[in-house]
Amino acid sequence: MSQLANFINAKQPLTSQPLAMTHVIYGYPSIEASLEWMQALLEMGVETLEVQFPFSDPVADGPSIVQACHKALESEPKIQQCLTDLGRLGRDYPNSKILLMSYLNPVYRFGITKLVKEAAEQGLTGLILPDLPIEHAAEYQDACVEHNLDAIWLITPNMPTERIKQIATQATGMLYCVSRSGVTGQKSSLQTEFDLAAYLAEIRQHTDVPLAVGFGIRSPQQVAELTGLADIAIVGSALLDAHNQGGIATGKAMVANLFPQLA
Amino acid sequence: MKSENGFYGQYGGSYIPEILYSSQQQILTTFEEAKNDPSFVAELHKQWQQYSGRPTPLTHCENLTQHLGGAQVYLKREDLNHSGAHKMNNVIGQGLLVKRMGKKRVIAETGAGQHGIATALVASRLGLECTIYMGAKDVARQYPNVFWMRQLGATVVPVKTGSQTLRDALDEALRDWSSSYEDSHYLIGTACGCAPFPEMVTYFQSVIGQEVQRQSLAQFDQLPDRLYACVGGGSNALGLFTPFLEDKEVEMVGVEAAGRGMDMGDHSIRLSHNLGQAGIAQGFASVFLQDDQGQLQETHSIAAGLDYVGVSPIVAHLAETQRVRMSYANDEEVLAACSLLLQKEGIIPALESSHALAVAFKEAADMRPDQHIVINLSGRGDKDIFNVAKAFDDKEFAPFLEEYLKNYHEQDTVQDLSESLSQETHA
Repeated sequence: MSQLANFINAKQPLTSQPLAMTHVIYGYPSIEASLEWMQALLEMGVETLEVQFPFSDPVADGPSIVQACHKALESEPKIQQCLTDLGRLGRDYPNSKILLMSYLNPVYRFGITKLVKEAAEQGLTGLILPDLPIEHAAEYQDACVEHNLDAIWLITPNMPTERIKQIATQATGMLYCVSRSGVTGQKSSLQTEFDLAAYLAEIRQHTDVPLAVGFGIRSPQQVAELTGLADIAIVGSALLDAHNQGGIATGKAMVANLFPQLA
Repeated sequence: MKSENGFYGQYGGSYIPEILYSSQQQILTTFEEAKNDPSFVAELHKQWQQYSGRPTPLTHCENLTQHLGGAQVYLKREDLNHSGAHKMNNVIGQGLLVKRMGKKRVIAETGAGQHGIATALVASRLGLECTIYMGAKDVARQYPNVFWMRQLGATVVPVKTGSQTLRDALDEALRDWSSSYEDSHYLIGTACGCAPFPEMVTYFQSVIGQEVQRQSLAQFDQLPDRLYACVGGGSNALGLFTPFLEDKEVEMVGVEAAGRGMDMGDHSIRLSHNLGQAGIAQGFASVFLQDDQGQLQETHSIAAGLDYVGVSPIVAHLAETQRVRMSYANDEEVLAACSLLLQKEGIIPALESSHALAVAFKEAADMRPDQHIVINLSGRGDKDIFNVAKAFDDKEFAPFLEEYLKNYHEQDTVQDLSESLSQETHA
């Protein structure tokens, strides 16, 4: 059984409130500062920390994250060092789980099997590769099984049932359920015309892995509305915007506001 | 060239955000159906002929042939397409697919603006909404094209992220498509992107090579010995080469932009000298200019249409299997070739196409007079007037612009005056 799924299920988030998944970009605004920011979040007790290794052409991301990634690249981050840094953080904060997110090209250059192996050795629990479709992922999936690391797949609105089934039945650790079309950071996530409950219920029919919901979450109401529907609420661009506005203090205040269990 | 599930050797595939899966599948299905539908093919040929002026001629350059003293030099005149470049072949084809899918809007990326103009032209003719993404640096370099796109009713969005060039425009177009896929089609301008775009764009461009096959048999009784084409994304090269792939005696040469030097950032050579490496970005696996961490790098060419960081997966595969020989020409050689064509043949070539001319002229001299080469003149050079005038160090061009600007503002005042006068009269 997946470490990540066990960890999430043990906290019974469906009966209380969604756990936090906070997103941070490695190297933004500098490597040192991004590690301090991650440490501050872990210190607050965020259950899961999603760390994005920056890429020059992040096509699934909106303006906030794109600009931060380009800024982060100025300090020439190395994926090897990133793994080492995250490993150290993970050992310092064993009550949280760290996930690595990256676009495919930096991972491909590093070696996909090598990345899975070394990420597992550093105690990371999952990987998110938003531009790797499941039909091209055999090597990656084999490596994940071998090293007991979860390959986290995305489910999107308007996905044909067959495709949901295809992905959900291969899911381990958690599923990243995108709550609207478009890229990260756009407004209005849980819009009225989109029946989020029905969307999540359909996904549940095909899997019992924890469900994380993301894209556009900005308010405590949005997180609260997920209670009983999803296990995890993902906050990315909104947190980056808060951090940009007032640094670590403002970022922490936002997390405390969104997730009462961490306040 | 047929793919294996979207792959050409190790290149190609479909590496896009999951949200685009259904749209990509819809394009796959529609394209498969359309190319097997005789009425679609008939409409395509009708539009190519009646709107774009196909077939384009194969022009024998007798003066140049004599001057170079080697092979017979022929030009495939894609510059004579409506819009002045081969880009039109593909846009007409995809435009018909958009109608077939019932979508109302097209999105496109453009570098120099040629694909943007072609897209805006066809969108206007088909009654489609049109949004063009263009790097902010390219908008500044190629404003006349932006002007025409807007006059044609397109929305032109300058992209200010990253290197502010073609590759950033492509990223931004993909982002738009991620939120607009239900009613929008992403009309990619070159044989790149996720499957089936490389295959589909090549299919629509192959009309170039098919015509060359017929024309060479009619004009010199045999197939050409060598074909030359410049390679940015790769669509004009694949258009010329693809119908000849099985004719092993026909040699094919792709020409990349060597820019102003061999340091990273000064050229767009991806395939020669192992300057680029295999990678996966912008929806497909191919060869990209990148650093050791897999970050895509900046590029340069005097021809905006060639400074792309990646290359078609089909060209990458044909180069790797040595079916296509890759070469390159630098900015200076390109200007010299452009100048030679102007003087010897009375044809104004685009700077992109002049890359193919540069290498072909160099090699033609070493060939026999009974051999024939065909160079794809992918576009006309009118658009390059500012760059070429500067590069040729034309003494009167800058004073002309200054004078024009002065008069332009004065005319403005006159026009404002006459407008306000006429309004007063109406009142």
